[in-house]
Amino acid sequence: MKISVVSNILEANDRIAAENKALFDERGIYAVNIMSSPGAGKTSLVEKTVEALGDRFRIAVIEGDIQDTCDAERVARLGIPVVQINTGGACHIDGNMVRGALSSLDLDGVRLLIVENVGNLVCPAEFKLGEHAKVMLLSTPEGADKPAKYPLMFQESSVLLINKTDLLPYVDFDMAKARRDALAINRNLRIFEISCKNAEGLEGWYGWLSGEIESTRKR
Amino acid sequence: MHEISLASSLLDIINEQAAKHRFNRVNAVKLSLGCASSVEPKALEFAFSVQAQGTIADGASLRFEMQPVVHYCFSCRRDHSAEVFSSVCAFCGSEDVILTGGTEELRLLELDVD
Ligand SMILES: Nc1nc2c(ncn2[C@@H]2O[C@H](COP(=O)(O)OP(=O)(O)OP(=O)(O)O)[C@@H](O)[C@H]2O)c(=O)[nH]1
Ligand SMILES: [Mg+2]
Ligand SMILES: [Zn+2]
Repeated sequence: MKISVVSNILEANDRIAAENKALFDERGIYAVNIMSSPGAGKTSLVEKTVEALGDRFRIAVIEGDIQDTCDAERVARLGIPVVQINTGGACHIDGNMVRGALSSLDLDGVRLLIVENVGNLVCPAEFKLGEHAKVMLLSTPEGADKPAKYPLMFQESSVLLINKTDLLPYVDFDMAKARRDALAINRNLRIFEISCKNAEGLEGWYGWLSGEIESTRKR
Repeated sequence: MHEISLASSLLDIINEQAAKHRFNRVNAVKLSLGCASSVEPKALEFAFSVQAQGTIADGASLRFEMQPVVHYCFSCRRDHSAEVFSSVCAFCGSEDVILTGGTEELRLLELDVD
């Protein structure tokens, strides 16, 4: 006997993500999910962003690391609420993990929630967390072929930050190709070239993010 | 490695369906998937076969309907299907190309059951 089912395999995850999103909207929190390969600079970006915008908006952070808590400790040093998700070896964060983490975060007055996903270009893309925007970080030493090789991540993202531009003189990174491929995959992608080391180009990112936070009001 | 989570979600859905339609054996599972989605069919097959052991889906085969990567070129106005994405048109070499298909997420289409 054949049974026609037609369902999205991640339906259960999507439902939990929708609940998370409803909670964010109720509280007027803007949530971003930061994704990249390992070491592209996610935690560095979180640190810079908190330093730049932390006086204007109350920020909370969820750190997803496979193992240790180094990243959470780095962020905690900035004096903001941070919780570490134990992914139990999983290569991505899912909606349920975020739901669990939210219960141990002080969300009072928080306007921006940053989720640092597990460093991985493949797995996190299809697991919705309830975020308002996905932000991709691609660092120049990784090479310009990444959008073409991992189109899903780039398609799902609202913003692409091309990080470590300070290394451009030393690595072969074809900026034109990276931009062209990324935009062919996602015409609406906002691209900013940045360096978390010398802070170049970060104003564009801060401006975009502030605009998004400002336009998110408590329901 | 997210194939482990996907296999377990798939088994959850199969169990829900079994409760609803009262079947007690799954022979085959038909799935659809974009060629440029982030799922590796071989890894999913393996994860599924391990997790299905001792369940009604033990030994069930997975069949994948792969959706091709589809490009549209604004210069020559043609669609081009391939297995991998390229931002250069395969027909005219133009770079004015967009991705229009191939990243479809994993979906369950049909169960063959007894
Ligand atoms: N040269 C240079 N180095 C950078 C830049 N941004 C980050 N780094 C360095 O890259 C390394 C990794 O940065 P992290 O911020 O820890 O990267 P991550 O993406 O959080 O890493 P995981 O969480 O382990 O995946 C560190 O040594 C950073 O100092 C940059 O713009 N330029
Ligand atoms: Mg980190
Ligand atoms: Zn063409």
